[in-house]
Amino acid sequence: MNILAIETATPACAIGLRTNDGFELGWVLDEDRHHTEVLSAGIARVLAETNLRARDLDRVVVDRGPGLFTGLRVGLATALGLSEGTGCSLVAVSSLELLAHGAHLGGTRGTLVCCVDGRRGEVFLQNFRLDDDVTALTAASVATPRSVVIEWATNGAPVIFTGDGVERYLRDFAAVPNATVEHQVVPSVAAALLLGATRDTVAQVDPMYLREADAVANFTTRQRS
Amino acid sequence: MALALAIETSCDDTAAAVVDAQLHVHSSVIESSIDQHRAFGGVVPELAGRAHLTTIGPVVRRALVEAGLDPHAPAIDVVAVTSGPGLIGSLLIGLSAAKAYALAWDLPFVGVNHLEGHLFAPLLERPDLQWPIVTLLVSGGHSMIVLQHGPGEHEVLGETIDDAAGEAYDKVARWLGLAYPGGPEIDRLAAGGTPGTLKLPVSMTGEDFDFSFSGLKTAVVRATEKHPEVALADVAASFQAAVSEQLLRKLRRTLVAYPDVRAVALAGGVAANSALRRGVERVAQEFAVAALLPSLSMCTDNAAMIAAAGWYRFAHGGPSDLALSARPSWALAEIS
Ligand SMILES: [Zn+2]
Repeated sequence: MNILAIETATPACAIGLRTNDGFELGWVLDEDRHHTEVLSAGIARVLAETNLRARDLDRVVVDRGPGLFTGLRVGLATALGLSEGTGCSLVAVSSLELLAHGAHLGGTRGTLVCCVDGRRGEVFLQNFRLDDDVTALTAASVATPRSVVIEWATNGAPVIFTGDGVERYLRDFAAVPNATVEHQVVPSVAAALLLGATRDTVAQVDPMYLREADAVANFTTRQRS
Repeated sequence: MALALAIETSCDDTAAAVVDAQLHVHSSVIESSIDQHRAFGGVVPELAGRAHLTTIGPVVRRALVEAGLDPHAPAIDVVAVTSGPGLIGSLLIGLSAAKAYALAWDLPFVGVNHLEGHLFAPLLERPDLQWPIVTLLVSGGHSMIVLQHGPGEHEVLGETIDDAAGEAYDKVARWLGLAYPGGPEIDRLAAGGTPGTLKLPVSMTGEDFDFSFSGLKTAVVRATEKHPEVALADVAASFQAAVSEQLLRKLRRTLVAYPDVRAVALAGGVAANSALRRGVERVAQEFAVAALLPSLSMCTDNAAMIAAAGWYRFAHGGPSDLALSARPSWALAEIS
């Protein structure tokens, strides 16, 4: 199976490709919000270098967030265009589970809190247990980094933090007693290829927003006051 | 027969069309998210972006199927897409999808200026038209008067120095307590009113070709406060007449200044306005030139016009690079 992975949930833009003959590659194309400029050009280049055409793809696996809206739009629209255009199947994964599986692939074991930077002083987060398998302990949600830090400082149990949401507030997270930080910024495309091979395919992918559109939120607040 | 697939997502409409190189429209599909924006009294960029992502796949598929093509292997030659100007979050979705379709089918793609698309709309219905043409391009985001020497050769003679005409419609409609979007509401009400009941100034009477509409909105507010007895229909008719009057004055001035002009065209969402359409027809008769009034579906945002401009840009400048960025404030004068 030829699988392409698209990762755009953070300021970085990454792709992964696994081919029929066992070739596998992961590539961070850019680290600072140039998704529009680098994504399709990067895919074209990777396909050309592996002597594949887009229509040879069997699957496109895409990170549906939560994360940076601009990046997610580019990633999802690209995944959609590729799968609609070629007829190949589409698989959606979340940025938080990619962080968890990325850490798991790297050998991390224990209780893992994955945080993606949500801007506006918030992080998108989800807790996982990593042993032989990766098990989600909570649903994905949105919170302030401060509340996460306080929760684990109070709890006192050993915990591992990872994700660009942790890196952004590193001093606070690193100060939690019994906590270690697994430095991982970009959700793992290796994990995306792994999960993408076995997950059910979908007809349509919606981004995981976790927050209402600003205008809707402001409007609702205005209506109430 | 060479075919282009075009995609347009610069504002709240998700649109796709299949158009051949002779500019025959094989399909043109438009899905609007306007219902989601009504409560806010204007297009909310975040909501528009979310809606585009949901609708783009089905809209493109429908455009291909309606043109009799296989959605997974269509006999298409080029993919054209609006790459600016417009809402950045909306543009990105069309642009990213267009690049991906081009990749999927091993085809070239070309980024198109949305405003140039509007200028090409009359060509889709009147292949026999004669140049030069003067176009009044009036929409919610733009108000300009453009001299076109030939396809793709344009010169912006004047533009609004403040609000776009469509914006003025929306603001006045909101003041009058009418629903959004304001254009159709005011147009409908004005049909039963008498223009001139409310005395409104026609601003920008200078020698240039520029417009100004923000003063007109203020004038409506003042006049209706002073004369609360004037019926809503008369207010709407008076406002509508004042907008048209300003646009038509500048149109006449252009025809005097450029006597070799052969036709006047109307483009953009406000081109659906009945008073303005009648006015442009009148001016065309006065100057014995042709009036190009695209059908309503070609005035408002659509992808067929993007295909038309795309064919021209592809033939004259070749394909765009996959690294092409969206340009939210791409001016007509910057097209190269
Ligand atoms: Zn437009």
